[in-house]
Amino acid sequence: MTVVRKVVNWLGLGLFVFLGVVAVVPLFLIIGDIYIKGIDAINKLGGLWHFLTALPPSPFDEKGGIGPMLVGTLYMTALGTLFGVAIGFPLGVYIGEMRREKFAGVARAGVNVLVEFPTITIGLFVYAVMSLAKEDLNRYVMAPLSNAVTAVLGGWASYFIGPLGGYNAYAGAAALALVMIPYVALITASAYASIEQPLREAAYDIGGREFNALFVVLRKAVSRAILTAVLIGTAKIAGETAPLFFTAFGNFYYAPFTEATGAVSLWIWYAAQTPYDVQITSAYGAAAVLLTIILTIFIIARIRR
Amino acid sequence: MLGLLLAVLLIPYLVAAYGLLFVKLRWGLRLFGVFIMLTIGLLMVMFFVEAYPIIVRDGVAVFFQADWDPVRESYGVLQALVGTVLTSAMAIVLAMPMAVGAAVTINEILPARWREVFGSLVDLTATMPTVIFGLWGLFVLGPFLQDLVNRLAGGVVMTSPYTLFTGSVLLAIMITPYAAAVIREGYALVPKPVEEAIYAVGATRFEAVLIKLRYIRNYILGGFFLALGRAMGETVAVAMVVGGNFARLTTNLFDSGITISSLIALQFPNAAAYQYMVPALFTAALLLALFGLVINATAIYIIQRWQI
Repeated sequence: MTVVRKVVNWLGLGLFVFLGVVAVVPLFLIIGDIYIKGIDAINKLGGLWHFLTALPPSPFDEKGGIGPMLVGTLYMTALGTLFGVAIGFPLGVYIGEMRREKFAGVARAGVNVLVEFPTITIGLFVYAVMSLAKEDLNRYVMAPLSNAVTAVLGGWASYFIGPLGGYNAYAGAAALALVMIPYVALITASAYASIEQPLREAAYDIGGREFNALFVVLRKAVSRAILTAVLIGTAKIAGETAPLFFTAFGNFYYAPFTEATGAVSLWIWYAAQTPYDVQITSAYGAAAVLLTIILTIFIIARIRR
Repeated sequence: MLGLLLAVLLIPYLVAAYGLLFVKLRWGLRLFGVFIMLTIGLLMVMFFVEAYPIIVRDGVAVFFQADWDPVRESYGVLQALVGTVLTSAMAIVLAMPMAVGAAVTINEILPARWREVFGSLVDLTATMPTVIFGLWGLFVLGPFLQDLVNRLAGGVVMTSPYTLFTGSVLLAIMITPYAAAVIREGYALVPKPVEEAIYAVGATRFEAVLIKLRYIRNYILGGFFLALGRAMGETVAVAMVVGGNFARLTTNLFDSGITISSLIALQFPNAAAYQYMVPALFTAALLLALFGLVINATAIYIIQRWQI
């Protein structure tokens, strides 16, 4: 090997490593920046517990928190995850396990398109459906339902079920679910597709019915991959902002979930762009909280693997 | 009434699909496939219906007109279109070398036990909320880039920290992991015999990497298009740093501008006050959806068609 080739070898490899490191460095800068300024902000705004429960600061307040937004984020993320998995998982089984069917190929292409769809268009879609459906839905379904439910359970139930406003937590959850469905479906599909044929035959053998074979026996073979997918998907939708703009809209107060609902990500978006220092500070605090939630889920997902 | 039907039928549909899973499994599963296709179909139809008034009024002119003046009810999305193309082009130019570098570093150079950690970091970049990237871009990256560019140019080139260029750099950081993931997938699929043959002819490590990269060029191209799709659709982070200049067409990267998605995000809250603004924004969304469809279809076609 000539000296030139040796030098080129080291230079080239060095270039790749340099580029790879450049790709990762911003991550550390961001996490560091958010935590340094965020922890400071939480202390300044009244301590952790106050910050997690209090109303957001108005421009003239000294203290404040992200209470209503945190509740909204948790509620919508939980609902979104529930529906995302409930629809995404069987869909993934379909396109993974029945992939020889022609329609399964079509559905796979559809899922592939949907997973790359700009999330803001998904929010707009839910907004359009909502504005089309709201009036009749409230008149014929939600109002009677709400009356019946509150008669049985008491007044608190109207915080969850009642005539829907133009913006509400359920529209937000629907948009988040639509973001999550294709993600869960694709990972489920590739997990099912990677099962070896002998294992599949054995599963059909002892499972008896196809249902048992697919959902009881083979589920064990893929459960890890799918749980990771669900966790990472949850982390992803917990931080989503764009699908919530026109569905949950954001709210500064504790409010029924049938009305406009706040979310931590929406508050960061709003507060960071105001000219008031106290709100910008609270945006950093909120970012630290959101990042903690997401890092926790992410690390759990990685350790389990 | 149509909307009511849609919303009310959704629940029985899903219940029926679940019920069928127990009775006739295959048909139950097929119903879920039908569900997702209906959703995509409905999405396109809804966008078209909502955008219809302005398409009737202005025809295709709405795509080639660069002024956005709600007071005169005159809308054009050309400036946003140009902004989207400029930022995503710049972002992809910056991101692709980083993505290739990250993929090669992880799969080739790092010792095996560090691969997992480094790979997780790259994945984490893809999972981080975009609004946090936006926050960082707003207060750290924007001022830093303004300082850097002005110092390098030796004059005031960037008058504001929030420009198309800031948006591009932030986008590049955000889309790198998506391209890197696709390239890594391809890299792992290079057959062992090919790898052995490369080393057998006496190639150095670097030359081997180059040959392997050429071998998986379809994956690199596929990752390119997927990342491009992401860059075009990204909303929140870009809207926070791009400057929000929706009134004037600019092709100067160091000027504040707008992209299609940030136009929607920034203008939609006050759209209801004007007669044609909502349709105009849905036209923009339709355009965005069509863009995404074409780019992703290309990416999927490339990856699947020329699979190694």
